[in-house]
Amino acid sequence: MSRRSSKIATIINHEYITKVKSKGFIIGTLLGPLIMVALIAIPIATTLLSFEDSAKNIAILDETGTIGPKVVKLDPGRYYLTDKPEDLLKKRTLAEEIDGYLLIPSDAVQTGELEVYTRGGGGIGYLTILDKQLSKIIRRERLVQAGADTNVINLVNKGVSISTIKITEEGTEKDFTAALAGIGYVLGFVIYILMFVYGSFVSRSVIEEKANRIIEIIASSAKPFDILLGKVVGIGLVGLTQVVFWVILSAVLLASAGYIVDLFVNIDPEAIKAGMPQASDSNLPANFEIPSISPWLGVGFIFYFISGYFIYSTLFAALGSAVDQESDAAQLQIPVTLPIIIPILLIGNIIANPDGTLAIVLSLIPFFTPILMMVRVAATDVPVWQIAASVVLLISTFLGCLWVAAKIYRVGILMTGKKPTFKDIYHWIKLAK
Amino acid sequence: MEILKVENVVKSFRDIIAVNDVSLSVSAGRIFGLLGPNGAGKTTMIRMITNIYMPDSGSITLFGQPVSSELQNRIGYLPEERGLYKKLKVIDQLVYFGMLKGMTRPNATTQALKWLAEFGAADWAGKKIQELSKGMQQKVQFICTILHEPDFLILDEPFSGFDPINVEALKNIILKMRGEGKTIILSTHVMQQVEELCDDICLINKGKAILSGRVREIKKSFGRDSVIMEFEGSNEFLNAFPDIEFINKSANRVEFKLNGMSSSDVLKAASESVEVIRFELAEPNFNEIFIDVVGTQEAENE
Repeated sequence: MSRRSSKIATIINHEYITKVKSKGFIIGTLLGPLIMVALIAIPIATTLLSFEDSAKNIAILDETGTIGPKVVKLDPGRYYLTDKPEDLLKKRTLAEEIDGYLLIPSDAVQTGELEVYTRGGGGIGYLTILDKQLSKIIRRERLVQAGADTNVINLVNKGVSISTIKITEEGTEKDFTAALAGIGYVLGFVIYILMFVYGSFVSRSVIEEKANRIIEIIASSAKPFDILLGKVVGIGLVGLTQVVFWVILSAVLLASAGYIVDLFVNIDPEAIKAGMPQASDSNLPANFEIPSISPWLGVGFIFYFISGYFIYSTLFAALGSAVDQESDAAQLQIPVTLPIIIPILLIGNIIANPDGTLAIVLSLIPFFTPILMMVRVAATDVPVWQIAASVVLLISTFLGCLWVAAKIYRVGILMTGKKPTFKDIYHWIKLAK
Repeated sequence: MEILKVENVVKSFRDIIAVNDVSLSVSAGRIFGLLGPNGAGKTTMIRMITNIYMPDSGSITLFGQPVSSELQNRIGYLPEERGLYKKLKVIDQLVYFGMLKGMTRPNATTQALKWLAEFGAADWAGKKIQELSKGMQQKVQFICTILHEPDFLILDEPFSGFDPINVEALKNIILKMRGEGKTIILSTHVMQQVEELCDDICLINKGKAILSGRVREIKKSFGRDSVIMEFEGSNEFLNAFPDIEFINKSANRVEFKLNGMSSSDVLKAASESVEVIRFELAEPNFNEIFIDVVGTQEAENE
């Protein structure tokens, strides 16, 4: 090993060991997945809970005589029939004796117009349920009144269920567009967080060495370019360690997930295996299948994280070298943090149409690629040429960023005093030969 | 033998010329004082020798080769502004800096423990830098500089932050290193240390070398122009010599420059009116030379 590469190795080793041994890293690695699960689970849980909590006690003032009893039958704990005048119901609602009342006018079957009176609120969750339930009852009543046969009525009311099935070389398999889009969203979001976290690690490490004047000793021992590269690679390996740990953990959990679900939910294993669509009238998903996730998704995740990290961390290092203390860094970093944030705002559009021209173009802009291409790779089958193009573009962008960053870093680390402007930094780039 | 040769070096930053056509030469086994007021260009000069900066023009030759990153391993550099990783353990810190200078891990570890013991600091090895006192940190910093046993050292204000006892200890270490044939550049503001330690000097002001040579010869060239005098009685007899320039004046002791007056005339006048206890023709001290030379240049520029 040449002297120069052994120095880079020394710096990489120093950055890696001091970070990996730190408590923050160990806690972050272990708690990261828990926080991620919590971030996903809490909105779902609160949405589910909101369906139950509101409007427990609702009176029904039925002028048709036929609809009311059917509503009560749906949920006797919640609804009860009444013949009290509307004024009294109003008072009782205001007095919080009941949560509200449902007014079914005599022409409700014809007009389809009903009214719910509450103290306000009640939540979208409840209204959605009520809307669904009443629509079904009134539709059925209309058919009955039109003299339809019971068989016809049952046929009409039978739900429609669309299963998407993907055709592949090996035959057909169930398509999990929605689930995969969700996975893409999560992975893109994790890359976003990781680029920020590790970018700021690099920036903080640069500023620490500058503020504590350690850099003068290091710069008298190694080339600035080698210091920058060693630091970025060393901290990048810390990120890689964390990500590889998470990928393996996810793989293990996913591999065992089907087995665990089997234990708790009694579903014909053959059905899961075949992934056959099942017609169902219920609002629950047809079955508990876990979409089969290609190992390439893990590879893609690691690649897009690492390439995004390299691009942004070199820029963070450059800007870190320009300031004397961390509090000065935030403002200067806006041009670098902005292109990390923009893709997050675009994820929705990408997921809606991952194969569209907009998605293709945006995901090939190198500063957006790590997040957006990750989303697309998860959500759809991205053509190989686009993957190849993204790899080439990312690598060349990284080299370009490293080239510029090294120039800024070289001058910045030894420049103290006045907080530099972008004009100064531009001058440094020109200055460095 | 010439270890370092700096020839016509220029370095400027934007519109400021930090080092302007400086040449100097440092011989093996000597202590070379690099002097000058704040902002004179000393640090820029040092950074060019340590290959942190590249000169705009001119050449710097170290150990007979142009300075390069390969040569950095043979330099021990103690910067004026000290820097250590606050949260790193002393031993990890020393080993990291040692390895950056090309040492192997086992070798750096052995040397670090050896030097810690030498400084009576063997039990600090496992402590974090931030747990150490300022003086202790200075010692660790100094060990960082000499750990890889460089033949060429640059010490920028090495004594700052040390108590008098440790200053003495450090002086002895520096003199011992010179005795071992190492070459040392010493940059300091304390002129007394220059006289005690340096063999040669170069005085830089405003980017230019304004005085250089052997300490002995420089002192000699500034002549025996000062008088130190102690006596009993009134110092009024000195009023007869209007050209005298006082450096120090108290009741029974005066220090002054003759400025061309004859020393024997002064002595004669003194012996007539007071009892002379001491009368010494002294060489100027470096503090005076420093102020004199820098002051003259300032005056010329105005």
